[in-house]
Amino acid sequence: MQSVQHMVRTGRRGPMHEFSMAFADLRASFERVGLAWSLAWHDVVSRYRGSMLGPFWITLSMGLMVAGIGFLYANLFKIPVHEFIPYVALGIVFWGMISNVIIEGCSTFVQASGILSQTSLPMFTFVWRTIMRNVINLMHHAVIVVGVLIFYDHWRQTDLPMALIGLLLLMANISWISLAAGMASARFRDIPQIVGSVIQFAMFMTPVFWLPGGRLLDHAVLVLNPFFHLLDVIRAPLLGQSVNPTTYIFLSVLAVVGWVATFSTFALIRRRIVHYL
Amino acid sequence: MKGPQVSITVTDLTLRFPVYGVDSKSLKKHLARITVGGKLGRNSMGATEVTAVSKVNMKLRSGDRLGLIGHNGSGKTTLLRALAGAYEPDEGTIDVHGQIAAMLDLSLGIDPSATGLDNIRLRGRIAGLTAKEIDERLDEIAEFTGLGQFLAMPLKTYSAGMQARLAFAVATAVHADVILMDEWIAVGDADFRKIAHKRILQLMERAGILVLASHDVELIRLYCNKVMRMEGGVASPIMDVKKLDELLADASDADAA
Repeated sequence: MQSVQHMVRTGRRGPMHEFSMAFADLRASFERVGLAWSLAWHDVVSRYRGSMLGPFWITLSMGLMVAGIGFLYANLFKIPVHEFIPYVALGIVFWGMISNVIIEGCSTFVQASGILSQTSLPMFTFVWRTIMRNVINLMHHAVIVVGVLIFYDHWRQTDLPMALIGLLLLMANISWISLAAGMASARFRDIPQIVGSVIQFAMFMTPVFWLPGGRLLDHAVLVLNPFFHLLDVIRAPLLGQSVNPTTYIFLSVLAVVGWVATFSTFALIRRRIVHYL
Repeated sequence: MKGPQVSITVTDLTLRFPVYGVDSKSLKKHLARITVGGKLGRNSMGATEVTAVSKVNMKLRSGDRLGLIGHNGSGKTTLLRALAGAYEPDEGTIDVHGQIAAMLDLSLGIDPSATGLDNIRLRGRIAGLTAKEIDERLDEIAEFTGLGQFLAMPLKTYSAGMQARLAFAVATAVHADVILMDEWIAVGDADFRKIAHKRILQLMERAGILVLASHDVELIRLYCNKVMRMEGGVASPIMDVKKLDELLADASDADAA
């Protein structure tokens, strides 16, 4: 109810003021996190409105993709199916999460222009909306992840605490990338195309479908590829493999640096974003 | 719920719109500007800015019902959006005590392929109601819309007037102290206007503030007790609604000159 009991809006009063307003926006978005959740839920439901399976299309289409690619590549690469299917299932599920949060991040603010230009809702609400929408998708995919891990008998080795840490590191990073994509796309309409191409390129450079050999693990293609670290930090613990410590350091530093840079940009252009739209 | 009195205080409010042309939104132009430097750079220094609202001062207390009049593009809607908290001032301050309900655009948060009931829920959430509060008031809101069975139909089958009913019903279901309204209320039929009128009077009993932008002089006379004219982003002083004719006469003098 008390979204705005007392509202004060002023002209620019120096960077300190801009930062405190940006933090106020962030705080307000946490206070109304239920709204972001409702919007995200509405997005998922409305996409499948009128279809018989509803949101379980998410599960079904992912399941088909995992089965198709899993069996084909296992045969092509001569890798045992019970090793490859869990690997590729987790790869596709979490790659989907990473790429969708970033690609859909591009439309975070553009899509919300109607609401942003006539209410005082916090802008971060829409960032969370994009992320939560993908978390809901991930929950539908979890059926496949758990199913595959149990069916191919990997769940005994699964290191859940480390997987949880991995998921947190993953979210901490893709959330700022999503916000950055949203701000940039609001201002420059070429950004969504660029982001789309980069993500597609990254998919082939990242071991989503293929297994990196021993020597390749030191190769720049993987070491300098943030997407490899983002994927490995969640996939390896679920498969019961250990994660290279550099991955944890890399992702922690990336999250901190990324959030500081993105949040500062947000603070400085926040009042302009609504005019970009 | 009344701490401080419901009020709107606006001091020296100036709002400028940078105009981002369709072209300049492309990254190429931006990059070209950096690399080419001088020539294009000079253009970008003098980037077009439209001053939509300039140096507006106003004070409203509870019980004030302000009618905003003025030509198209005189800054009425921009002022309303700033009061709603969507546009940040470039200069000056806006200080609003009280829960704000802005009814500026029919399409706020509306999903055309969702049903009327879903849209009530969605809009209610955006307007600040919790899911539980919406469930409690759903029947009341549904009845107020007068749409009956149409509420189970997708919104895309609604006419503008029906959409207005829905939007108005949800927006006023929030216990707002400050209501900001743009023109569109006029799209409803006589029947709807009657119940809308009753709602606005109810709101007034709760000692709120209404700001209504309209070209319809009769509508302003009906709802408002004060009036302000916007002209090219500059606001006249707030006057009593009885002086509306003088204000309009001034306006036509200015046009003639």
